[in-house]
Amino acid sequence: MLLRLTWLLLQKDLRIALRSREVFGFMLLFALLCVVVFAFGFLREGEAAAAQVPGALWVTLLFSGTVGLLRLFTAEDEGGTLQLAQRTLAGPHPLLLSKALMQLLFSGVTTLLILPIVLVFFDAALAQPGVVLAALALGLLGQAMLGALVAALLVHVRLREVLLPLVLYPLLAPLLIAGVRATVLAQAHAPAEALNGWLGLMLAYDALVLAVAPWLHARVVEV
Amino acid sequence: MSTSSFQRPLGFLALLAVATALVLAALYCVAFVARPDVTLGIVQKIFYFHVSSAIAMMLCLSSGSLLSLVDLVAPSDRVDALARSAIETGLAFAVLVLTSGPLWARKSWGAWWTWEPRLTLTLLLLLLAAAVLGIRALAPDGTGRKIAAALASLAAPVAYLIHVAVAKWGGTHPMVLQGGGIQSPGMQITFRVALLAIALFAATLWTLRFRVLRLEQRLLNLQLEFSAQDVRQQREGGPT
Repeated sequence: MLLRLTWLLLQKDLRIALRSREVFGFMLLFALLCVVVFAFGFLREGEAAAAQVPGALWVTLLFSGTVGLLRLFTAEDEGGTLQLAQRTLAGPHPLLLSKALMQLLFSGVTTLLILPIVLVFFDAALAQPGVVLAALALGLLGQAMLGALVAALLVHVRLREVLLPLVLYPLLAPLLIAGVRATVLAQAHAPAEALNGWLGLMLAYDALVLAVAPWLHARVVEV
Repeated sequence: MSTSSFQRPLGFLALLAVATALVLAALYCVAFVARPDVTLGIVQKIFYFHVSSAIAMMLCLSSGSLLSLVDLVAPSDRVDALARSAIETGLAFAVLVLTSGPLWARKSWGAWWTWEPRLTLTLLLLLLAAAVLGIRALAPDGTGRKIAAALASLAAPVAYLIHVAVAKWGGTHPMVLQGGGIQSPGMQITFRVALLAIALFAATLWTLRFRVLRLEQRLLNLQLEFSAQDVRQQREGGPT
């Protein structure tokens, strides 16, 4: 029931996204703009340094991942379907899960499109593509789940656009730190033991968020 | 909390008096009992209040997070007020830690700030506590309480992971307490007095905020009661 309802809600969101092409396009454009701004910020004698790739990449994904986040829930609210979606037969979980999956899909596609652009702009190549992609996958997963949770909680709060990053960024700090460190080490051809520690930390973070977020969401949303 | 304890706050006044006396005693000890450190000089004296404040901050914020979880599972006005005042007190001490820390760091590390594990963790805890309190202030009352409680309970395990992450960076923070580093008896006594003083100071602030929040809750309940009475009286009076 939980999976079926999640799939139904996800299908609905996908259809809306494909028809309106609203949020995703802006998210991608914003990510591109972030990369450009970072390249400007890190210019040294006309060259953007390849050493800045991990930082620029992760912060771009962090920033662009917040752009469409609230929209996922405010769209439901404006359509009057938010309360209905919170009261399914499987509780409020399908709503949160479908939004997190939607966000994961958006940010995953953004990443795949933006990663080559970062490499081109900073004149760099991936030393260990497998490790970097694994770190990105773990990072995006945790970010999507936590982002969906915070957006779901803040949907009716005044100044939510300001509050969302204020809450989200410090909570995402372990993921950002570990992701950047793993990418830096992978670029430096570090041995597997050094990398595993950081990837393990990201895995632990994701496990925590995946386990706790649905419960917290249900506690806050249910009357 | 009963009405009489608000009208005659004897326990609270006693706590306030003892805390004030101890803080003065700690200041005396820092100035006259503890000798200046041989290598670090007089600036080392920040240590007594800096470390005590850090301990007070950790205690306040972790109990704030735990109490938020309790309030989320079994909602109660009293626990909510306790949790909120704990986070507020913890935030105040985080500010104290982050102002006294750089003063010391400048002298002993040669830099106001480094991205050292405990500094980073304290800064992120401050940002998290501020965000939670910000939501509490901006959200409508009933939902704001739940949202803040949910985020505050999530903050504790995340803070642990932040700690793990920044510890992997390595750093230069002095491990005085873990290493059994204080040798001079004057310094030991001073540290103990300062620790107790700051602990009681934190308890005073916590209690004070708790009492204010409880009064706010009572005021709100009274307002609700009166408006309900008004509605009832209007109904009984019939339509005019």
